[in-house]
Amino acid sequence: MNLALISAIPFALTLVLLVTATRVPKAILVWGITLMVALLFGALVGYVDATRSGEALTFSIPWITSLKLSYSIYLDSLALLFALLVTGIGALIALYAGYYFEKSTDLIRFYQLLLIFTGGMLGLVMAGNLFTLFIGWEITSISSFFLIGFKGDNPEARRGALQALVITAGGGLALLLGLALLGSAVGSFEWVDILNQRELLQHHPFFSAIAIFIFIGCFSKSAQFPVHFWLPGAMTAPTPASAYLHSATMVKAGIYLLLRLYPVMGDSLIWQNTLIPIGLITMAIGAFFALRNTDLKACLAYSTVSQLGAFVALIGLPHGEGLVAALVGIVAHAMYKGALFLIAGTVEHSVGSRDLSDLGGLGKSLRPLALITVLAAASMAGLPPLLGFVAKEGMLEAFLHGSSNFAVGVVTLSALLTVTMAAVLVWDVFFRPRSAALQHHEEAHGHEHHLHLPGWGLQISPAVMAAGSILGGLLLIPLIQPLVQPYLGESSLKLWHGFNTAFLLSLIAVGGGLMIFGLRRQWQGWNLPTLPRGRDLYDGVIRGVEKVADVLLLSQGGKLRYYLAAIIVTVILLMATAGLSGLHFASLSIQMNSSADFLKATLLILTIGATFASILFKRHLIAALALGVAGYSVGGLFLLEPAPDVALVQFLVETMGTVLVMIMLGKISANERQQVIKNLWGQTRAGVFRDALIATLVGVGVGLFSLAAVLNRPTRISITEWHISHAEKAVGATDIVAAIVTDFRGMDTIIEITVFGMAALGVLTLLSTPEPGRTIQFMAGQVLQRLRSRGTASTAPTAAEKELADPAIQREIAALLAERSVSILSSPMTRAAANLLLPFALLVSISHIAYGAGAPGDGFTAGVVSGLGIAVWYVVFGYDQAKRRLRWLHPVRLIGAGIGLAILNAVVPLLFGQPFLVTTQFKELVLPAGLHLTSTSFFELGIFLTVLGSTALILETIAHPQEVEAL
Amino acid sequence: MNVLFAITTGILFGLGAFQLLRRDLIKAAMGFYILFTAINLLFLAVGAFDGVVPAYSTSVAGGKTPSDPLVQALLLTAIVISFGSYAVLLGLISISSRRYRTVDPDSVDQLKK
Repeated sequence: MNLALISAIPFALTLVLLVTATRVPKAILVWGITLMVALLFGALVGYVDATRSGEALTFSIPWITSLKLSYSIYLDSLALLFALLVTGIGALIALYAGYYFEKSTDLIRFYQLLLIFTGGMLGLVMAGNLFTLFIGWEITSISSFFLIGFKGDNPEARRGALQALVITAGGGLALLLGLALLGSAVGSFEWVDILNQRELLQHHPFFSAIAIFIFIGCFSKSAQFPVHFWLPGAMTAPTPASAYLHSATMVKAGIYLLLRLYPVMGDSLIWQNTLIPIGLITMAIGAFFALRNTDLKACLAYSTVSQLGAFVALIGLPHGEGLVAALVGIVAHAMYKGALFLIAGTVEHSVGSRDLSDLGGLGKSLRPLALITVLAAASMAGLPPLLGFVAKEGMLEAFLHGSSNFAVGVVTLSALLTVTMAAVLVWDVFFRPRSAALQHHEEAHGHEHHLHLPGWGLQISPAVMAAGSILGGLLLIPLIQPLVQPYLGESSLKLWHGFNTAFLLSLIAVGGGLMIFGLRRQWQGWNLPTLPRGRDLYDGVIRGVEKVADVLLLSQGGKLRYYLAAIIVTVILLMATAGLSGLHFASLSIQMNSSADFLKATLLILTIGATFASILFKRHLIAALALGVAGYSVGGLFLLEPAPDVALVQFLVETMGTVLVMIMLGKISANERQQVIKNLWGQTRAGVFRDALIATLVGVGVGLFSLAAVLNRPTRISITEWHISHAEKAVGATDIVAAIVTDFRGMDTIIEITVFGMAALGVLTLLSTPEPGRTIQFMAGQVLQRLRSRGTASTAPTAAEKELADPAIQREIAALLAERSVSILSSPMTRAAANLLLPFALLVSISHIAYGAGAPGDGFTAGVVSGLGIAVWYVVFGYDQAKRRLRWLHPVRLIGAGIGLAILNAVVPLLFGQPFLVTTQFKELVLPAGLHLTSTSFFELGIFLTVLGSTALILETIAHPQEVEAL
Repeated sequence: MNVLFAITTGILFGLGAFQLLRRDLIKAAMGFYILFTAINLLFLAVGAFDGVVPAYSTSVAGGKTPSDPLVQALLLTAIVISFGSYAVLLGLISISSRRYRTVDPDSVDQLKK
């Protein structure tokens, strides 16, 4: 099977789930997902033999070669070990979740997140490229966020989710920086290249920075001190997610990356001096805090923190002493901690609580579960012959060889506390007699030992994991050794090393741990000084950020014009500096070469004059017309350039814009318009003066910038030359502008029409939201109707309905409607003209589309021309009649069809192995002279449909007398 | 000649900015429109060629310098997008008039909480 497929399958499954999940029976859903993930596990097992020699399987698809980006896979024994954990544990979790969630909607949501996470995590560990790794890394952070906040109505869940996201994603940013530096230092972002460059990297000036940023990323992800607290805070996630993400896999992503980088960075001083202390501190405080909690999941979370610290410290040991112990530990931990988490979930499911003080004596009724727990906890405590024993012996051995006595002491102490924790878990939940107070409480409430026995579905997954702990220990050589072979070299894993120092320490840990457990009565009463909690630190930082935000908010005046003034002034100051630096007054000259230049100068003056007049005119309508004159002058300037295509568009758009303003003005009451006209010059003279000053500043700034731009404009050596020489050959268009628009920069045009369509839909959305009052009335009518149809409300007309039924009132309404809908411009002549105009406009449009490649005009002008035909209808007939007569026009559908056609036209060449958007010329077609039909004609047609739809939609929405009916 | 275009751009920009700052949403929208026009003028002026014939391959064949087709293509996009934005602005004004019964931005004070 293709390697690339493995990490893609979970994502594909997510999509399948989106469509099918609600329609299949639950059993099929649960087993389907479980088997699919188990299949991935099976497929990955097939690679064990290939990687045990230390070889890496690689695979690469180039993506963006200029950025050295590729999608590549790097599968060696390390990646394989993690991938096996992700899929193996994943399958068990999927099965367990099927029986854990009661509501099927919850289950489906959980599966989607689970699959996204699985895909991301596989992508992370199998990544051959730093950026692929980073993307996987972020996917796991985000899916973890959603899983922690799964029960979103619980504030504690939201808090925990946000806290975890802030810390892991914040660490992710540091990681991105570290990876980018790493890649640029080596000159490649591929593991294949990086892992050979130890010398180069360690002598690179940025080596320390690279290491520190990567450490921050790894430590935040793997819950190391001082940000370890996010992991216990993440326990609001559903228990299967805690077992999977927050103990078995995701939190080990940081460990994975450290292991991955060991060959190139491992023997540096900064590596040892950071990893060992941080790891040891995390290990000790995790083991200690685990004992101070009574929530089963919090105990397990802190004990996970402790284990993660142990792995980090092991990886920090010099000469690779601790690597094998870390790898075996990771496998052992995934099995026993995964099992314990799932057991906690099962217990909570059965008893309704997971607090140690509520539990006890479950051993009698839940015998199989008790057995599983004993096995898992024994592995956690490191008792032979379980896998946990091998891991712990290996760990002690590694520290004895590679580190100071102090470190060995800390490790032994943590191991000792872990034994105590394991004993507490087993004893308190299953074997301790239920406390008298608890029994009394239950009797008082009349129900004794209210227990809901778990089905096999909630026990099989932890049972498999516990069995794995035994089999892993007993069958060490065939099962575990192949996974870590490259790290072992010639030696092999052993369950029993004989009576050596490590075993002695192990005995001390077990004995001491049990002793502390036995003396619990004594130390549980101790009042230890409260330590500052990480969570408080986090809260403090968040509060600080909010304080800063409050200070910054003081600058918000709440008046639109002030914001505008601030924005404009800032932009202008920036522009003016750019302008001044690029300005050489020596080259400033105004040359009038031809009569056309004089005409241009006249038009420029006309533009300025008309614009200035639009400011002075008080009435909006006249101002709009003056602005139209300015726009037409600009159109004239385009024509003189000579740029006929642009001029045509400018004329059409100007007309359309003016029509729109006029229609809109008609919808704003004269009263409102009068009010602003009165205000306009009525505001204080100082205010006008201030605005004029700002405006002058703006004018001067932009003027300087424009001068600099004009003086430094590109010379003839530009891409344009290529455009001019290739337009006819490649696109079959004599109109070079049309060739650029439809082919050379065709993607721009697709985006452009999409934006235009979105603008139209935006106008519709803006204006179709009913006012609150209207909604209530409307809803009241709807409710009444529904009640009547059910027969629960009387069908007798209400008072309002009676009034409306009165013939006199109906006559009034009819008169009002007629008055409103008939435009003052409606006369037999104008109506006939409008009727004639629209078909004519459509004809013009067709010719624009057909001849767009060789003459001014294109799909866009075609759309606006037809749009203007429709605008005339709205002006002449009024909204109601125009709408009635234009029933065939469905603007929203036109927009959709247009954009769809444009994209389809771009995609079709892909099917024939051609590049995206390539133009096909139909040369064999016999056509009238001057007509060139190419595939761009379909593109033009798409543009036409979109623009026509958008224009019609904008017109209809703005022309609507009141609110627009919803879509 | 292009220097004149640049100066005009500056003047138009000033006029547009003044309109933007009026206590009148309709005039402010018109101010935006003036800014669009000003920028389009500048676009035209910074083209690489001072052409004498339209950019058609039929006319280029005659050996004359065409106007720069690239800026024209960009201009087409710019004009279309500015028209779309203008329509959205007009929609916003309509909504202000319908909801708040005013087109004076200072009278709409529900925006500040």
